[in-house]
Amino acid sequence: MSESFEPKIVAFVCTYCTYAGADLAGTSRLKYAPNVRIVRLPCTGRISPMFILKALQKGADSVLVSGCHPGDCHFAAGNYHARRRWTVFRALLAFTGIPEERIRFSWVSAAEGAKFADLINEITEETKKLGPFTQYQELQKAIETQSSY
Amino acid sequence: MGIQEQYRSEAAELLSSGEVKLVIGFGAGSTADRRRPLFARTPEESEKLVLDQNCIANLTTYLVAGGLLTDGKKVAVFLKPDGIRSLNILIAESQVKAEQVVIFGFAIENNEVTPLEGRSISDFAKLGEKLRTATPPPSVQEEAERLEAMGSSGRFEYWKEQFSKCIKCYACRQACPMCYCRRCIVDVNQPQWVSTSSHTLGNFEWNLVRAFHLAGRCAACGACDRACPVNIPLRLINYRMGKEVKEAFDYFAGESSDQNPVLASFRQDDPETFIL
Repeated sequence: MSESFEPKIVAFVCTYCTYAGADLAGTSRLKYAPNVRIVRLPCTGRISPMFILKALQKGADSVLVSGCHPGDCHFAAGNYHARRRWTVFRALLAFTGIPEERIRFSWVSAAEGAKFADLINEITEETKKLGPFTQYQELQKAIETQSSY
Repeated sequence: MGIQEQYRSEAAELLSSGEVKLVIGFGAGSTADRRRPLFARTPEESEKLVLDQNCIANLTTYLVAGGLLTDGKKVAVFLKPDGIRSLNILIAESQVKAEQVVIFGFAIENNEVTPLEGRSISDFAKLGEKLRTATPPPSVQEEAERLEAMGSSGRFEYWKEQFSKCIKCYACRQACPMCYCRRCIVDVNQPQWVSTSSHTLGNFEWNLVRAFHLAGRCAACGACDRACPVNIPLRLINYRMGKEVKEAFDYFAGESSDQNPVLASFRQDDPETFIL
């Protein structure tokens, strides 16, 4: 891949753990790749698979979904429900040929600022290696050229 | 007395005694080998009921349509094993009350129609266990395995081609007994999650959403697959989703009418090997 490629990464995170973790990374002055756009949600249980599809539709090269470790959910069980949903959705994406490497899931607690920074760096590096998600983005382009006449 | 005559007279009895307000069964279709749903409200109408090896539709779809059961009255319905499975799911999801449905069960094997014992869903507890261990159709299994072996870019190309045929008629949704939402996500336009025109991206999204919403809820009756006017192999996706919930959560949709829906429940030790 050309060196100029800067991937767009969308991270859907829960406000109680991963967002607080990202905040800690910031207040600890940890440096991490600027390629990530964080979307804060109340709980991982609120993260609908539609969000992931929408992010891809709008040109994301990778998506990260992250929340509290099992047992730590502010709403007691939101992340357990989310975990089942992701398991199934991940299998569906894999079966329809959307590479698993582009959709990542993680648990990052409010104390794990360093883990968050490392995770973002790692995902950015790997997405750079994978290159832009042209397969999917071309479908979107096809619509734009279609609607221009 | 054949099964058709037996069920006809039983249906007429139920209707004349007023025990059920409606019998949903099969009637003659547009050609000799097609059957059409028949809604009998009087004993005379039940004379037109047909039951033979061509009765393949899953009639549970009609139980959740248009507030049919909201008056608390009973309805009788002709069901194959996959129909009984989907009725189990509907009861588990509190869409249908078990006591409101009288079942005329039948199975088709080698073009022979045989009756299934029992009239109430509780009589079919053993059937769920039997279906769980039954092997899925080898043609579906082989095709799904062929896709799995392709690698992700190959699969993407395959589905891109399949979904590019989609005309967004939503026949798959209309035919499915599990698609009972009053407002489907594709009909929501604020925000517009799925693009409405039938270009490949929108088709991709629609088919992914449809499959996801049916994960762990599909009774594999094949209604969507038969309804599709452009022959997208929806059975493959449904099969793959069913396999996933079975392997990951040891769950078989429609096994019993009191199981917890798989995506509305959890265990603390659910697998999470993919989570970083």
